[in-house]
Amino acid sequence: MADATTTEATELATLAGVIDKKMTRQLKQYLDLCARCAICKDACHQYVATQDVKYLPAYRAELIRRIYKKYFDKTGRFVPALYEGRDPDENLLDELYETTYACTGCRRCMYFCPFSIDTQFILSVAKAMLIAAGRGNEMLGQLADAAIFKGDNMEMFHDVIVDGFKDVEKEVQEITGDPTAEIPVDKQGADILYVALAGAHSIRPAAVIFHEAKESWTLSLFEAANYGFFFGDPVKARKIADRFMDEAVRLGVKEVVITECGHAYRVAEIFHEAWAGKKHPFKVTHVLEKIDAYIKDGRIKVSKAIELPITYHDPCQIGRNGGIFEQPRDIVKAISKDFRDMTPNRQEQWCCGGGGGIVAIDEMNEFRLKSGMKKVEQIRATGAKIVASPCENCRLQMEGLDEVHQLGVRIAAIMDLVVESMPLKGRDAAKV
Amino acid sequence: MSDEIKPDLELDLKGLLCPLPMVKVSQRIKDVPVGGVIRAVATDPGAMADIPAWAKSTGNEVVSAGKVGGEFVFLVKRVK
Amino acid sequence: METYLQITSVWGVYLSIAVFVAGMAWRIWEWSTTPRSPIPLGMFPKPRTGTGRFFKMLKDTFIAPQSFRIEPWMWLAAMAFHIAALGAFVGHLRLIHEFPFLPSLLGEAGMNTFAAWSGSIAGVLMLGAILFWIARRTTGPYKTISVPEDYLLLALLFGVVIMGDHMRFVYGSIVHAATYREWFLSLLAFKPAFPVELTSSNVAFSLGTHMLFVDLFLIYFPFSKLVHTVGALASNYVRSE
Ligand code: SF4
Ligand code: SF4
Repeated sequence: MADATTTEATELATLAGVIDKKMTRQLKQYLDLCARCAICKDACHQYVATQDVKYLPAYRAELIRRIYKKYFDKTGRFVPALYEGRDPDENLLDELYETTYACTGCRRCMYFCPFSIDTQFILSVAKAMLIAAGRGNEMLGQLADAAIFKGDNMEMFHDVIVDGFKDVEKEVQEITGDPTAEIPVDKQGADILYVALAGAHSIRPAAVIFHEAKESWTLSLFEAANYGFFFGDPVKARKIADRFMDEAVRLGVKEVVITECGHAYRVAEIFHEAWAGKKHPFKVTHVLEKIDAYIKDGRIKVSKAIELPITYHDPCQIGRNGGIFEQPRDIVKAISKDFRDMTPNRQEQWCCGGGGGIVAIDEMNEFRLKSGMKKVEQIRATGAKIVASPCENCRLQMEGLDEVHQLGVRIAAIMDLVVESMPLKGRDAAKV
Repeated sequence: MSDEIKPDLELDLKGLLCPLPMVKVSQRIKDVPVGGVIRAVATDPGAMADIPAWAKSTGNEVVSAGKVGGEFVFLVKRVK
Repeated sequence: METYLQITSVWGVYLSIAVFVAGMAWRIWEWSTTPRSPIPLGMFPKPRTGTGRFFKMLKDTFIAPQSFRIEPWMWLAAMAFHIAALGAFVGHLRLIHEFPFLPSLLGEAGMNTFAAWSGSIAGVLMLGAILFWIARRTTGPYKTISVPEDYLLLALLFGVVIMGDHMRFVYGSIVHAATYREWFLSLLAFKPAFPVELTSSNVAFSLGTHMLFVDLFLIYFPFSKLVHTVGALASNYVRSE
């Protein structure tokens, strides 16, 4: 713009500078290589459901690429018009906000791209730019700050949290029929630190299973969910994960076990060491890996109690991005009579549409439910009556889909189904 | 006692799993004027830490938080 | 016509090869001096061993089975184009040296027929793929995500291929590889000269124009998305890390 004042120009340059600050070899290659072949187009559930080009993976990345070309690429600076080089101005940021915070980070587009271009990774730079412009998603930012506040002021919340655990402990005692069953907290030298969500629903079944398996465990005071990651601020994200990682070091556990939550597992297993710049002195596992081993080793007893047809949805952060495909399936097969996989499945599984923190973004509700179209078709095609999935966000999304499309399915956490299939004195006695 | 405070908005968060109660309060706080109060009822014990933590970090105020029967009742005041 | 040939088929060739080599080296140097992402970007399932990852990288790059699964037609066009381009490149090596064995096996006439066939097939395949891409790029969502670079590259490729095909189909039976080889070897010896068979016929114009597009294409190559020819190996490797 000819009338752009110098201050505006400096502001734009500062914003564009975020790309340079975040520059890595991989980012550079992703920005340099994309052939705009659009093979990724039909990989993205959001594009498929809306047919709106702004949700086409390559287009989302293209917004960042155009700034990169204009500011940082030698040829692009020479002839920006050739690449439609752009400034990070209001218009672009508006568009960037929508495309970026909508992305669930499922990386299905990367799976199909002939150059394995990681659109989510490019969009992590977009989030950093939005945050620098003061346009980070407010809700996700607040949730991240609340989690950090809780970590920094544990003395303020410790008793309330432990009180809550006590209530759950009573329920566990009732279910197991064992009045000595406990939910250990701050237990020095336990083998396992179990990191749940803030909700009791992710603690109760795990406590029952750990009790029955006679596991040496302790419950983290902190929740595994990481809104800093969704918000797009690696410093916040690291702080949130640090809370339980430091706790694990303090308690000297051998293993950190993450609850049925997708992004929390990926953050803990794949990202945290890189953020912290040091190796963990313990293993990080997903709770379903543990449960699968309990069943296979005979540490807990389960029966094929589930009669209704049941299917399994791979959360993107646990499957494609986390590498756990078989254990959850093995568990479900061990407790049910009629298991039916979805097509496609495993690494090609469709994203349900609930990832990336989008379930917390009110203004995207309608869009989010619409974007689950593929998942609805998949569930319908199996004819299943129960959909098991080990991710809170997936379950919230699929519950929404069930409601809107009258699928008549039960969306369940796998731990709950396992508990239902275990012989448990307390609960079984209460039933008769 | 909190009876004296008349809430501007009632939120039924029963059955919602954490962190959803916090998310809902945070989404709806904009619907009350500054100085206004939301009365929220949740059933997930996690809310007892979550909602106060959210209020502190966003500069809002939890006027009261307590357990009534099996439910958790919060009065949250919008400060800014 | 002499001047045209001098520009496009002598000086243009030197210039474009120099720019191409220097440009690609600069690109690769730039990539390799940028620190790698501390965050692992691999996706599952991935092979456990280094060798396994290496072979998966080759497979993902040269066969791209996932891309085939999601868009078979696009995959087919891309495969046809890349294989034909490779074939054409190998065929052009005759400019430097006649293939060993083949002529003695097929006889000189047989060799020319073989070259005519394989060259024609490659030329037609490339042209088909380019036309498909032009059609695709000018419609629907593909149009929205396209930038001038995409059209420029397609135009240059179209020029290269159409003029190459022109020489193949119109002059293929008149001017043979040996003639072009004379010219090309003279370039390599830095004593550029054009055999009379070239300058005395209209093929000079075709060659000049073919080379014009080739020059421009090679010059722009390192500064375009075509660096994927090298970069795809690296980015596909990261997928399995
Ligand atoms: S599939 Fe890969 S190379 Fe093709 S447009 Fe999408 S991101 Fe770019
Ligand atoms: S990561 Fe998933 S949601 Fe995001 S652009 Fe790729 S396919 Fe779409």
